[in-house]
Amino acid sequence: MRARGAVSAALASAGILLAGWQAGTQVAEIRSSAEATSAGTATGGTGTSGAGGSTSGSSGTSGAAGSAGAGSASATTYDGAAVATRFGSVQVQITVKAGVITEVTALQLTDEDRKSVQISNRAAPLLRSEVLAAQSAKVKSISGATVTSNAYLTSLQAAIDAANL
Amino acid sequence: MTTQLRPGAPAHNHSGHRGPGAVAPHAPSRAGMFARQHRGRLFRTDALTVIAWGSVAAAVALWLADGGATVISSPASAFTAVGIVTGLAGMDLVLLMLLLAARIPVIDRTFGHDRALEFHRRLGKPSLYLLLAHGLLVATGYGMAEGLDPVSESVALWVLVPDMWLAFVSMALFITVVVTSLVAVRRRFPYEFWYAVHLLTYAAVGISLPHQFSVGGLFAEGTWQRWYWLAICITTGAALLYFRVLQPIAATVRHQLTVSRVTSVAPGVVNIEMSGYQLDRLAGHGGRFFTWRFLAPGLWWHPHPFSLSAEPLAPGPGGESKLRITVRNLGEGSGRLMRLRPGTRVAVEGPYGMFGTTARTRDKVVMIGAGVGIAPLRALLESTPFSPGNATILLRGHSETELYLGSEILELCEDRGARLFHLTGPRVRQETNWLPEDAVRAGYTLASYVPDIADSDVYICGPAAWAGNVISAARAAGVGADQIHHERFDW
Repeated sequence: MRARGAVSAALASAGILLAGWQAGTQVAEIRSSAEATSAGTATGGTGTSGAGGSTSGSSGTSGAAGSAGAGSASATTYDGAAVATRFGSVQVQITVKAGVITEVTALQLTDEDRKSVQISNRAAPLLRSEVLAAQSAKVKSISGATVTSNAYLTSLQAAIDAANL
Repeated sequence: MTTQLRPGAPAHNHSGHRGPGAVAPHAPSRAGMFARQHRGRLFRTDALTVIAWGSVAAAVALWLADGGATVISSPASAFTAVGIVTGLAGMDLVLLMLLLAARIPVIDRTFGHDRALEFHRRLGKPSLYLLLAHGLLVATGYGMAEGLDPVSESVALWVLVPDMWLAFVSMALFITVVVTSLVAVRRRFPYEFWYAVHLLTYAAVGISLPHQFSVGGLFAEGTWQRWYWLAICITTGAALLYFRVLQPIAATVRHQLTVSRVTSVAPGVVNIEMSGYQLDRLAGHGGRFFTWRFLAPGLWWHPHPFSLSAEPLAPGPGGESKLRITVRNLGEGSGRLMRLRPGTRVAVEGPYGMFGTTARTRDKVVMIGAGVGIAPLRALLESTPFSPGNATILLRGHSETELYLGSEILELCEDRGARLFHLTGPRVRQETNWLPEDAVRAGYTLASYVPDIADSDVYICGPAAWAGNVISAARAAGVGADQIHHERFDW
């Protein structure tokens, strides 16, 4: 290799790598601030639902609000075990009311990289509705999201066991 | 018209009509005839070097730009991250290898066909190591994240993750291709076996793509990294399809070559003359060698690389003309060519290589050939520009009958004013010398035949070991590396 070619190749490669690194740190900053924001939204969400409850209470539809209150009093949540996968941990929480699973919430989903986040976002709602319909962890895994599905259902089974259903 | 066995006074040495003094007045006007071409080629060399290394850097940089390095938080994620980087770099090298073997004209006219394939060969092992490291590191990293050993993790990946089993098959194919290409292994099998296995590379690359785009987080939908990789994969595929399949088919259809005559030159050496259309399009290009397939039973699947031994004749009234190659019986493959029947149709690919006027850097030219390696020099001598007195031809063989096409070359030298030396006789026991024994004993070196060799382009064609010795002798005589033009014909 000629000297001029070697030096230009080295400089160009170093420049490209530096630019990539620079862009990467910016992406990381944006992501961490985005995470902070989404965490904030989540807290805000909880706050809003609480506020919503008080609003509905104050609006005077007392019967409905009362039964909802009674219902929420008897509903219990159970956390499943956190299952580690190569794409991140998965943990679900179920809400049980009178022996019936009324809600499945994903506390953690595979989120190692953008691809995993995509898969999780697609698989989680499907799994939730299947589980609510079947009332058990014995449902088919979502194709293209086998790892996430299996972890989801394993965690779910642990939660169901904990609820003694 | 004298052919010299040993150096004498240069003025009496040339076979042409005029001495070097006669052309001196023309020299300044033609000085630097090839300087621009040479600068252009050096620039292309550097530019392609920058692109090649830059593409590897870009593969890593795109991963960095995605925040790849910032997610490393544990040993497991570190393993996975390094695994991803090695996979990306390995894929980039594989694509570079494919491009180097794609017969792309700009690469061919910059590095030459044989050097491009040499780079291709040298990238083989590094890319395999990178891909193996990719597999091992990612399996380890994923396994650590999940509390599994790399083997069970690999099994889990194969079974659970879509497209991953294809990636495992692809890895096995890559290993097969590289192992069969190792020199030691390659020698044990016929060329065709190696070639067939080598075709599996396309399968290996093809089935490795799905997992990159379906499992790789970097290639997720909507990212511009995905578009970049898609673009370079498609470009590489298109280049291969066009230059290795479509163009040869088009050339074969356009030229409609058929064997017109097979004549004996010497024992075991024949001229194969072919006639066809628009053959002037095959001349004048940089490359001098073609891959021929003689479409006869038992022969059609065997590609033969041979240079032209005579420039194509000017087309006749119907656009038809002739070209010629000279073939020596070196083995089973070329042995069958001795008995080719006239009328056999011929498929042609090319021209390839740098062994022609496109490689010239100086006004003076020296051609050194041995055995059947003399044949390509014969065509070059016919066409490459030089002033009378500026060219020297050295032909080496055990005896005069081994100086194939010697009489044609003598005629050309007389016409164009080139010096010609016949160097015949047994070789020296000492293996590093390329001259006949008596010349060595008389103390002659390359500079005794060509005093101004340091300011000449030197074309060398002959058996690999002999050519290597000539190259060392030329370097020792002060010839720069970019003035030496050597084409391997024993691939």
